Amino acid sequence: MKLRVQYRGKELELEFEGDKVKAKDLLKAINLSREYAFVVVNGEVVEEDYYIKEGDQVRVINAISGG
Amino acid sequence: MKRCAKCSQKAVVYLPHHRLALCKVHYLEWFERRVERTIKEFRMFSREDRVLVAVSGGKDSLSLWHALHKLGYQADGLYINLGIGEYSKLSEEKAKKFAQGLGRTLHVIRLKDLVEDIPTLKEIEKRPACSVCGNLKRYYMNKSAKELGFSVIATGHNLDDESATLMGNVLSWNLGYLQRQYPVLKEGNGFVKKVKPLCLITEKESALYALLSNIDFVEEECPYSVGASSIEHKLLLSQIEEKSPGTKLRFYLEFLRKVQPLLRQEEKLELKPCSICGEPTSADVCSVCRLKQRLTLSEKG
Repeated sequence: MKLRVQYRGKELELEFEGDKVKAKDLLKAINLSREYAFVVVNGEVVEEDYYIKEGDQVRVINAISGG
Repeated sequence: MKRCAKCSQKAVVYLPHHRLALCKVHYLEWFERRVERTIKEFRMFSREDRVLVAVSGGKDSLSLWHALHKLGYQADGLYINLGIGEYSKLSEEKAKKFAQGLGRTLHVIRLKDLVEDIPTLKEIEKRPACSVCGNLKRYYMNKSAKELGFSVIATGHNLDDESATLMGNVLSWNLGYLQRQYPVLKEGNGFVKKVKPLCLITEKESALYALLSNIDFVEEECPYSVGASSIEHKLLLSQIEEKSPGTKLRFYLEFLRKVQPLLRQEEKLELKPCSICGEPTSADVCSVCRLKQRLTLSEKG
């Protein structure tokens, strides 16, 4: 399953095995922790166990900033 | 599916360190109440004060400005354009758009007009870009607040910023910085009062507030912050927090409660006006005027 993900002003294209991807799998694929990041699907903040479907509008917010 | 602790509707946010699940409406209410409680607990300011919010275009400063406005405080913004290419262009656009939506004034100044932009300064300074940038932002925030008649400067520093800074300062036992690490820095000696109303709000909570309030914030990171030690410290603390929720809050609050009072007794920093610009400094010439002198020398050289 392929997902297009909006992340920090860029679009990422990610490929997953199988046709079911949980929000937590997506965070893991981008190497982010739920401690400081979360997933927004079709404009709604979703729980870690939420299943993302192909064609969903997906955005990942990484809250960590520094400097 | 988790339910909101207040109304039993479907929860959109779960805060493990508070063991609290909330729906959108009650999360926004919780956030604003927490900001209000922090302002009151640390006696930051009242509704009679004119507050200048240091705005970067990111989630923290815009969430802070939004919450202060909703809570009925007189808060305008100050945006400092750092001259960092597309990043600065985008962040200025977002800050201006947000101010317009809020119906408040955004004051804009440009480092390029006042000293030099960050990319140029990075080339001539030995210090990391973040150190030069922070130094200049603090200087011009204070100067602008005085010139514009504001009694308080509010910055969007959050719990993750404060606990990561604390960790960095503890690792090197930097007592000077630890003495000054407090959510309120009083006015006096040429300084306007400086406050951090988001100091008990995590970075994720701030991002969630921005998102759920439909705030259009800059998600891109400053290109010069890559590899900054503050990010490394945040990642380390988040690993501990994941295993033991509440650690960051405890680390910071217990420092304020138990260690800060001991350190503040020792504080005796003599400040005087800079002989060139008149801003407060512990030396004869302040760090920004020294930077300007080095810049002039490098241009001549």
